[in-house]
Amino acid sequence: MSLLRTEGLTKHFGGVAAVDDVAIAVEAGEVFGLIGPNGSGKTTALNMLSGFLAPDRGRVWLGDEEVTRMKPAALAGRGLLRMFQMTRVFPRICAFDNLLTAGLARGLDEAEAARRAGALVEELTLDPVKYLDAGQLSGGQRKLLEFGMCFMEPPRVALLDEPFAAVHPVMRETMARFIRSRNQRGHTFLVVSHDMPIVVELCHRAACMNAGRLIAVGPTRDVLKDAGVIEAYLGSGAHA
Amino acid sequence: MSTERNLWSHLLRSDFRAALAVVAVLAAVPLFASSPYTLGILVVSMYFALIALGWNLLAGFTGQFSLAPAAFAMLGAYTTGLLAYHLKAPLAIGIPAAIAATALLGFLLGRIVLRLKGPYLALTTLSFAEIARNVVYNSYNFTRGDQGLNVPSLMESRVGYYYLFLAVLAATLGMLYRLMRGKAGRFWLAIRDDETGAESRGIPVVRYKTFAFALSCAICGLAGSLYGTFSQLVSPELGLLLQTGLVIAMVVIGGMGTLTGPLVGALLVYLASEWLREFGGIQLIVFSAAVIVVARFFRAGLWGLAVRR
Repeated sequence: MSLLRTEGLTKHFGGVAAVDDVAIAVEAGEVFGLIGPNGSGKTTALNMLSGFLAPDRGRVWLGDEEVTRMKPAALAGRGLLRMFQMTRVFPRICAFDNLLTAGLARGLDEAEAARRAGALVEELTLDPVKYLDAGQLSGGQRKLLEFGMCFMEPPRVALLDEPFAAVHPVMRETMARFIRSRNQRGHTFLVVSHDMPIVVELCHRAACMNAGRLIAVGPTRDVLKDAGVIEAYLGSGAHA
Repeated sequence: MSTERNLWSHLLRSDFRAALAVVAVLAAVPLFASSPYTLGILVVSMYFALIALGWNLLAGFTGQFSLAPAAFAMLGAYTTGLLAYHLKAPLAIGIPAAIAATALLGFLLGRIVLRLKGPYLALTTLSFAEIARNVVYNSYNFTRGDQGLNVPSLMESRVGYYYLFLAVLAATLGMLYRLMRGKAGRFWLAIRDDETGAESRGIPVVRYKTFAFALSCAICGLAGSLYGTFSQLVSPELGLLLQTGLVIAMVVIGGMGTLTGPLVGALLVYLASEWLREFGGIQLIVFSAAVIVVARFFRAGLWGLAVRR
């Protein structure tokens, strides 16, 4: 059974179908890429998966439990954690306290949360800035911090929305290394990204959306060679 | 600040110690200045300090800008007063009842404004405050309206009242310190900083926001209840928006999101207002100007200035 699965997921805004009858299945232990041109519905789909948006139709399962329309905090409690394209950290408390808060929210006691926060700031190269208010960190450091917050208690599925966008290459590599190492330990990721080289490198399988619909699903390299996918990105006639 | 001292636990500990130092100074005051007038002024300052701590829990720690703290103090005062007036209920029942009633109303208001932010939240709480004040004002047969309501006193001694208010203030500070250093405090700070982010991390935002509303309103209600027994008269004027403005000025000048700030702010602003009283309406101009200066140049308030390294 797939770890995260959707069936007929649909969302309209006005008369426009932002997501239309989307069915995806993320297997346990894989890194699954969700790609597509701008406005294809990726973030809307992610918003429905993470509980920030209620679907008009369709269902979502986490393991064998149906989680359709469940609130974000309840989903986070079940191990479905979200990282945002526009980073969401707590800017007026320091980076270390951000991690502690995330750990407490996942049910850790303070001592264990502090131990894990200490390990994560080292792994994510945030040690020199751990006592700075999160609002003072660079964009890349905030992304790394949000990674750390998701992993204070390893999630069952981490939903990452454009984690590599507008990030310095060194930090991008730190993130990619983090995803690889966590995936080797069996953690599952759903990654929304425009960064094709990293998608190819990290994702075992991928799905491509265009105009709200799923147009290809399969091994990442196969999806990227798909004529429909090429056309969606480059326009009609690109594969001629 | 990029040292360990910027950890929330360190900041809060220093803040709490400073607040306790202020309480210790206040405890010594009657040894040197025991005139009923001075003690009376300080009792009223502590009444405002309690409301300021309650409002700061909501606005400073949780990021929910309410314009109803004075209304909740009024409701607390009237709960105790009405129970005594109509049912001859002793204050041992009337004061806890005020805490319970304002906590319940705060909880309900918290549920109503759950999804509101910024000006919408401020306007809704202001509307609630004005409705509450007008209901009290116009229900003459039940509340005696603008005639005010006589409330029995807890004790004759002004020194006794002084130390009662001080003990309640210290207990409130202790309770807030315990909450703020634990899970609840960290979750409130997270909600203040980014509600969506807090929700996505698994923080039960609804529960903690309504908890903050209920507790904040209960503190204001307790303050009002005690003040009613001290002054032995409660009136709808306790809930005037002007009183809320004074509380906000106290917290902003002292330092929002701290324990010492509201305490010091309340003492300074109220003592200054007494001193400025002889100059007529100038006091409001002075406080308004002080709020503008602090908001523009020292957003961390006086306590923030004091701890800036």
